[in-house]
Parts: sequence; structure tokens; C-alpha cells
Amino acid sequence: MTGALVALGTLLVAAVVGFALRARDGRVRAREDDTAARVPAEVRAALDAGARVTLVQLSTTFCAPCRQTRVLLSDLAARTDGLAHADVDLTDRPELAKALSVLRTPTTLAVDSRGVELLRVGGVPKRENLLAALAPHLPG
Amino acid sequence: MSARPQVDPRGPRFAAWVTSAVLVAVLLTGWWPLLAAQVVVFAVGAFASLSAAPYSVLYRVLVAPRLGPTDEREDVAPLRFAQGVGFAFALVGTLGYAFGVPALGVVATAFALAAAFLNAAFGLCLGCETYLLLHRLPGSTRTVSDH
Repeated sequence: MTGALVALGTLLVAAVVGFALRARDGRVRAREDDTAARVPAEVRAALDAGARVTLVQLSTTFCAPCRQTRVLLSDLAARTDGLAHADVDLTDRPELAKALSVLRTPTTLAVDSRGVELLRVGGVPKRENLLAALAPHLPG
Repeated sequence: MSARPQVDPRGPRFAAWVTSAVLVAVLLTGWWPLLAAQVVVFAVGAFASLSAAPYSVLYRVLVAPRLGPTDEREDVAPLRFAQGVGFAFALVGTLGYAFGVPALGVVATAFALAAAFLNAAFGLCLGCETYLLLHRLPGSTRTVSDH
């Protein structure tokens, strides 16, 4: 009897968590503070010097949706003026994940040419939303 | 083409449904040998080879021939990592049931069920997405990720 209740409860909780995560997935979040602090040097090293904005994708080896995100972002960068895509693997760099306050992968940071984070997206980004959020930072 | 090993993503989704059903049956019956069998299934996927895991074989023999082929591919590393996380929970659950701590068995099985069900129904791999988080915990799943 207890087992049946636990099974039912677990499935209900998991379903709620699933819907909540799905709703949050791909949402664009503006940077929370106004300090305009630069991202750590390891991330700045990945920036494309010729681009206004670099989409820095944070991945791990064990992240299934990272692959899908990589395809989406590299395509987006190729089609958009002033936009570049870079991939930073955090698998063996938990200290960098901590410095960036990243808990899940993929997380994508949009970083300008000065190295300042403009916004970030958790999960697989949605193309239209991301482009709209980036528009003020891109040429044209 | 990527050089990393990849699989048809529908296989692991199918396996997650079977896993969910098995774990529900464990919770309903409290029969620990069934959970012990699931531990072995997880272990094969995590430590031996994903394509040798029993539910993957079941998928290839019974399900795949009825579906059309797909070009979609998924990397194997995250899937194996997830099997390792499932292995840890199911092992703790089995020990709980078998050694007279049913509460531990129930809780560990419930966590494994939640993860399997999220994977089956939503395609979410909690163990993979929160790898960084797990990595930060002391004495975490490091052994699973080392191979």
C-alpha cells in the first residue's frame, strides 16, 4: 500500500518537475547585476575577436542536449552578422562552472567583445527568442 | 560525422519506459530480487556497453524493425553516465530492501523512478544536465565518470 502511494507520488512530482523544466528551458535571462564585470579569463580566451557578440556554449561530455545546442548555435552564428559561437567544455573544470554560477548544461552565455556577459540561456535555446534578445547588441 | 559513438535516440527512451515500469513494480511489490535484476541491467549499460544492455537488445529486436530508420543520433557518453546514476540508486535501494531497511529501499527506488520517468516522458536526463552539480558534491559520482 505504501509502495503504491510512493510510486504514484513520485510519478506526480516527476511530472510537475518535467513540465516546470520544460517551461524554463531555453528562456533568455538578462544579466542580473549591473557591475558589467568581465567573465573569467578562460571564457574570454574563447571569444571571437572579430565578432560583436560571441555565444559561449558551456557543455560537458555527459550532456545530451549539448549536441543539439551546438548544431543550432553554430548555424545561427554562421547566418548572423557579428555573431560567433564557441564551445567551452566544463567536464573537468567544476571551479569554472562555480565561478560562472552554472548548474546545468548546456548553458549559453552571450558575451560582448569586451568580455561582458549580456545574457544567458539555460537548456536548448529557442532560435527566435535568442535572436530577438541579441538584436540590440548586433550591427544592423 | 562525429567520431564519438552514437545511437538511435529512441532506444534509450524505450529503455527508460521499461525501467520505469520495472521500478513501479518494485515499489508495488517490495520484491527486492526484481530491483537487483535492474541493478544488473544498469551496470551492463554503464560499465560494459550500452548496446549490450538488455533493454537495448529488446529495442533492437522487437521495436526498431517496426519503426522506420532515423538519421537522428545521440551521443553515448551521457546515456552511460545516466545508467551509472541509476545503478547507484538501485544498488542502494536493493541493499535497503534486502537488509531490512525498507524505507531506504523505497526512497532510493523512488529517486531512480523519478529520473527514469523524466527521461521516458520528457526526454530529460537529470543526471546529465546536473553533472556539474553532482561533480561538486564531495565523494560524488566521480568513479562513474572516470571510465
